[in-house]
Amino acid sequence: MAIVDDDAGVRVGLRRLCEVFDLGVSVYASGHEFLASLDHGRPHADCLLIDAHMPTMTGVELQHDLLSRGVQIPTIVFTGDDPDAVSAHHTGLSVVACLRKPVESDDLIAAIERAVGAVVSDPDGPR
Amino acid sequence: MQFLGARHPPETVQGSRHLAASLLLFVPLVFAGNEIGSILRYPDVGSAVLFVPYAVLTAALVVSRPRDWVWYILIDSIAHFVTHWPQWPMSWVLLATVANVARALAAAVLVARLCDGIPRFVGVRTLWCFVVGAVIVAPSIGASIGAANVVLHGASDDYWRPWRAWFTSNALTAFTMLPACMALFSYTAGLNRVRVERRRLVEGVLMTAALCATLAFILLGSIERTNPAVTLFAALPILFWSALRFGAAGASGALTVITFAAIWSVDRGETSAAGLSDGKILGLQFFMFFTAVSVLCLAAIAAGREAVVQLHRALLASLHDHVALLDARGVMFEANASWRRFAESSAAPLHRARTGDDYLAACRSSAERGDVMGTALFDGVTKVLSGAEQHVEIEYDDPEPGRHETYAIRIESLERPDGGAVLTRANVTARRQAQLEIERHRRELSHLARVNVLGQLSGALAHDLNQPLTAILSNAQAAHKWLLRDPPNTEYATEILQDIIDDDRRAAAMIHRLRSLLKRGDLRVERIDAADLMSEALDLSRSELQARNIEPMTSINPAAPALLGDKVQLQQVLLNLILNACDAMNDVEEPRRRLELSVASDDLRTVRLSVRDWGVGLPTDLIERLFEPFVTTKSDGLGLGLSISRTIIAAHGGRLWAENNPGGGATIHCVLPVAEQPEVAIAEPTSTLPDAVRH
Repeated sequence: MAIVDDDAGVRVGLRRLCEVFDLGVSVYASGHEFLASLDHGRPHADCLLIDAHMPTMTGVELQHDLLSRGVQIPTIVFTGDDPDAVSAHHTGLSVVACLRKPVESDDLIAAIERAVGAVVSDPDGPR
Repeated sequence: MQFLGARHPPETVQGSRHLAASLLLFVPLVFAGNEIGSILRYPDVGSAVLFVPYAVLTAALVVSRPRDWVWYILIDSIAHFVTHWPQWPMSWVLLATVANVARALAAAVLVARLCDGIPRFVGVRTLWCFVVGAVIVAPSIGASIGAANVVLHGASDDYWRPWRAWFTSNALTAFTMLPACMALFSYTAGLNRVRVERRRLVEGVLMTAALCATLAFILLGSIERTNPAVTLFAALPILFWSALRFGAAGASGALTVITFAAIWSVDRGETSAAGLSDGKILGLQFFMFFTAVSVLCLAAIAAGREAVVQLHRALLASLHDHVALLDARGVMFEANASWRRFAESSAAPLHRARTGDDYLAACRSSAERGDVMGTALFDGVTKVLSGAEQHVEIEYDDPEPGRHETYAIRIESLERPDGGAVLTRANVTARRQAQLEIERHRRELSHLARVNVLGQLSGALAHDLNQPLTAILSNAQAAHKWLLRDPPNTEYATEILQDIIDDDRRAAAMIHRLRSLLKRGDLRVERIDAADLMSEALDLSRSELQARNIEPMTSINPAAPALLGDKVQLQQVLLNLILNACDAMNDVEEPRRRLELSVASDDLRTVRLSVRDWGVGLPTDLIERLFEPFVTTKSDGLGLGLSISRTIIAAHGGRLWAENNPGGGATIHCVLPVAEQPEVAIAEPTSTLPDAVRH
């Protein structure tokens, strides 16, 4: 998993939540930081979690950038606004889900499962 | 003939009654006058020493309607004929009649025209108009015809001697008798309906008695009469009395009596003036003439002064405000009706002061009793009386229990050598309530504007608030899972809980800040760090700037001195300026979307907060009008934000203005005084000041 959010608190919270489900997580404070981490144009993650509203580079801008580099990565977008309205901006991009902040763990895991096409096992039993 | 200007009663019936009354007075006077004129005559030139009919006819013509003139002229001519014909040749009498009528007509028309109606002899101007018309021009006309008559009939070879005799006698007649005659005919014509007071009537009778007694003493007594004019000076005090107390008409009446007495004294025992030399007659005429000039001048000046005094009294009495005059010691020597009425209805010692009371002493004793209003009034009156202040204004609430009135009293220096002060007190309750109402509306409006600003920021603020909430929820869910493990990972959960606490506090602080901006609170004046103020405004708007892709830059001098003011209101102004700047850059290409916030201290007394944008700039004709209500450059703006902002800044003793930048865009500057200055006072709700006294 790769998490891109400008807010440190949000980054830490989301990372911890993913770690509970034994998902490997790397965090980035901005789109630029994530782009810089690409290894020969390939990401180190199977799924990208991004905030729609970020300074310097918004979620949509980051996806367009990735698209232009030929990077295809299933993406989950967070927003404080109406998720339907936000997802409309992302049509044609590899957005799997648009989630409203604050995000429920069940919704997040369901979205991740859809993104990676595999079941995320809960180490603590049924959710 | 409206130009004559005399005001006449409109009703015909009344008009006829007045005509009858006037004729009843006119007939005996004109007959007696002709008889007297015939007796007091220069022996050879046929001219009277004093010609009463001139004054009588002129007075009757001045006060009557032109259509009635024919009656007076006819009767006057008949009287003239009856008196002089057939002792004198027909042609002589006829031409003399023409001279008399022409003279009276000229005098009546000129006097009414020049004096704008019947002369009232108030002020010197009317007197001079009267002199020109009735004393100089009209007698000249009569003298020209009369002298020609004398020469034509061979009674004199010299034209100028009879001319001079005619002129002086008629000028003297006009001067001494005409004002009194006009007063008499005004009365019979119903134009002078003054109710005569008993006291004045008694005074008039007394004065007449004194005059008669003085004349009897001079003329019948044993004083040697070397020159009659000299002894006549004894009557001067009574002439002055008449002039000062009864005006030109009274003086003229007294002059008439004295003139007749003087002529009689010169001519005692003789039936004609034949025995008198020209010189003696002329001396007498000159004496009477100059006495009349002085006395009538005095009467006109006194009447003018009296009129001014009456006007001032009437003005003072008509004023709704309470007005009182203090002398240099602070003693009240004059108060108008409003002041007196208020004093009577009031119980407060300071309000009860009336004419003759020592107002300053009343203020002092009130101040000594610890009365705030008394102290303020004492200070104010002392300052104005001592010349330290030109005027002082004090606003205070009625100290009397149960009276909820507010008064404004103005103490103004009385501009005169003796010094003193004018007190003007007005009830300003309504004005004050209106001010409070305006103040309340202003606060409401300011609150609405603040809510509006936050409304514009709501999307960005929701995002800001969602960040800590997202972190909290994720952390809480993670911690929950760790604690459900067997064994529970309490150590990690504790670490997570600490982050939750921090994020919660972050959210709470943000809500608190929003709440204070949304609250409809009263003004709270405190010391504010200018740099903090600007940074907080930036924090509040940061998300909005992000959403609009605007890059904020700051140039904040952290050492800028502290301000004194209401933080919420100043925050509102800065947010408003920042949002305006954002709006100005809506149509600007992204790399140029920049915003610069700066805090600078140009001098030790002020701090300047500026918001600069790189937007479209302001139309030059709008730069100053921008701060007026309902003026806006935005299509969807109400145009209230900047106007309210300027009101807020002005209330803080500061200045708000806009200018276009040389490199494009606009900058709004806001200069505020620093807290250290002692004179910084916020001109906001006066209700927070003590109610007792407001300077």
